[in-house]
Amino acid sequence: MIDIPPYPPLDPSNYDLIVVGTGVSESVLAAAASSSGSSVLHLDPNPFYGSHFASLSLPDLTSFLHSNSVSPPPSPSSPPLPPSNNHDFISVDLVNRSLYSSVEISSFESEILEEHSRRFNVDLAGPRVVFCADESINLMLKSGANNYVEFKSIDASFVGDSSGELRNVPDSRAAIFKDKSLTLLEKNQLMKFFKLVQSHLASSTEKDDSTTVKISEEDMESPFVDFLSKMRLPPKIKSIILYAIAMLDYDQDNTETCRHLLKTKEGIDRLALYITSMGRFSNALGALIYPIYGQGELPQAFCRRAAVKGCIYVLRMPITALLLDKETGGYKGVRLASGQEIFSQKLILDPCVTVGLESLSSLTDQQNETLSVLVPKSMINKEKIARGVCVIRGSVKANVSNALVVYPPKSLFPEQLTAIRVLQLGSGLAVCPADMHVLYLSTLCDNDDQGIKALLSAMSNLISLPVPENRQSDSVVENDTSETKPILLWRALYVQELVKGEFGGTISSMPSPDGNLNYNEIVESAVKLYEKLMGSEELFKEETSPAENTTEEENDGGVEIED
Amino acid sequence: MAAPPARARADYDYLIKLLLIGDSGVGKSCLLLRFSDGSFTTSFITTIGIDFKIRTIELDGKRIKLQIWDTAGQERFRTITTAYYRGAMGILLVYDVTDESSFNNIRNWIRNIEQHASDSVNKILVGNKADMDESKRAVPKSKGQALADEYGMKFFETSAKTNLNVEEVFFSIAKDIKQRLADTDARAEPQTIKINQSDQGAGTSQATQKSACCGT
Repeated sequence: MIDIPPYPPLDPSNYDLIVVGTGVSESVLAAAASSSGSSVLHLDPNPFYGSHFASLSLPDLTSFLHSNSVSPPPSPSSPPLPPSNNHDFISVDLVNRSLYSSVEISSFESEILEEHSRRFNVDLAGPRVVFCADESINLMLKSGANNYVEFKSIDASFVGDSSGELRNVPDSRAAIFKDKSLTLLEKNQLMKFFKLVQSHLASSTEKDDSTTVKISEEDMESPFVDFLSKMRLPPKIKSIILYAIAMLDYDQDNTETCRHLLKTKEGIDRLALYITSMGRFSNALGALIYPIYGQGELPQAFCRRAAVKGCIYVLRMPITALLLDKETGGYKGVRLASGQEIFSQKLILDPCVTVGLESLSSLTDQQNETLSVLVPKSMINKEKIARGVCVIRGSVKANVSNALVVYPPKSLFPEQLTAIRVLQLGSGLAVCPADMHVLYLSTLCDNDDQGIKALLSAMSNLISLPVPENRQSDSVVENDTSETKPILLWRALYVQELVKGEFGGTISSMPSPDGNLNYNEIVESAVKLYEKLMGSEELFKEETSPAENTTEEENDGGVEIED
Repeated sequence: MAAPPARARADYDYLIKLLLIGDSGVGKSCLLLRFSDGSFTTSFITTIGIDFKIRTIELDGKRIKLQIWDTAGQERFRTITTAYYRGAMGILLVYDVTDESSFNNIRNWIRNIEQHASDSVNKILVGNKADMDESKRAVPKSKGQALADEYGMKFFETSAKTNLNVEEVFFSIAKDIKQRLADTDARAEPQTIKINQSDQGAGTSQATQKSACCGT
């Protein structure tokens, strides 16, 4: 470890906004506030950008998950900091809460992985991709962050089941025609359905065209699964639409366990996102794209944009306490781990920052109100997501490198209540060495065991698990003469708690990574919070004209960066 | 940072991405503005608002489009993104000849580069503010040359203020990179997807075409 001299004190010590954590939402907010002319200080306790959205090397991912998992061994408390020099403030100590539990990491080929360690960029919050029509794409364009990140296509989408077969997702007319597993009748039904959806979308755009077929208001309010039945789509087709195109999690046919029964209205919106993503960018093959070098490039792109607009960045800098006004109980500032006190009008915190329970009991009502977003929420009904990362040699599908695989509910085992998503990425995305792939898996779950069991089921379906399971899979390999399964080299399993963001006046908190495949909800929460903080000012509004002029000047005759 | 494709285009033969690296206050932005705009300001400019600058030069009959990136102030607390180094073909390591600590930190910056930049990246050492009075000089030229020799870099002392050696630095590293690119059989990288506004138009027209097909 390099002995880096301590940071110089921050000067100035007053800001309009302090942001803690460099996740996607926090970084979008820092960029938007800086672009609007606010002075912003953006901190992160980690030595890397991205917080829980980071892309890390295997050792860094391992140490991050272990150090951020539930009930690590208590570290000896640091010597108490000198009391606040300023007697106008009360300081409230902060603690870091854990998002992760049931962390289990196994390496089966340590030497090979160490040899290539620099080539790994592994996402903490995978599987995640960007739809070409994602709101995050629109924000990148508006903010100028698109200058700092490049993408490649996710080449294929598959639906899997317990047989181990992966069937293509027919998500376009061309794909429907090519598909060999669909009967002619099924193709006609699916084609008719897509035509109806296209027609409905066109009618919502051109409202005067009364001749266009439209889905009735009554149907729009009914459950999407019922609407699909009404369209007489067979179960296999319904499953593909619900879980591999609309990307639903919960079993829509099981009203008892389904936590989110989707209405047709929202189902059409999800199909619209998929459909408008196809062909939006001329050299993207499908609806889904992925940033080269990993999802961690996205928060970095917004942070770069914020820095260009004057935002100050300090990593390796936790905040240890909040400073409240002694009289009013209102928020005034924070104390950094360096001991320095920094003041701001507003504060945005990442989902892990919270107040210790011992601190809470001694606070006044006013102080409690100021800190409302930091109070640990009820333990009841915590939502969770189980995540897995596998480094494999070979591909789960011959001749395919970057692919999405979805296992609909009940497709692997009868008690499987939620869809399992798998994303495979190859070396062309600079996330791993050649000849290897990274598999990301996730499923929503009520408890850790349930989620991890589901992920293990998907893993054994796709790859050869190491001894002792190898003996069982030997017989499978014997039967399966067509293809050998990829080999597992490294694996991480962990469960992440899902935390929502919350606006609290002067102090707000941002969400954890959610269970979605894309960023729409994450970005939407950032946009909503920005509007509350800044009084409904539009994000990156000023960016369109001055940046455009600057870009024109800088890129005289250039082609790459255009407005 | 998105890597510019080093392929021939209508208005240039090579596109080369360069980075400026070094401590805060050594004059990186002044060097950039002097080279790209021909301007200089004596006031201390923080790097606010400067992202990257482009200037196209001619070398041996080839048009070289230089895309030169500034740190956006993120070097102040050593918080440069790893993304900054993506696709960089050349890096100017800049120190201030009147500030010994900025010279000593060059080794730390080189360590950063070795960790995050491509192995084949070209590097050049730049000692800026060479116009300053000798009484203020803290780093003799010989020390700069010795450090450059140790790491196999070329070395220039510059002054953005008086425009001493500024052109020479950029032309020198551009020439070395162009030579390296010519020596290497540049593999045809598969097309990456750049997100920009004009593609939306293309997407829209494609959607229109598709709906036209549906009508057929």
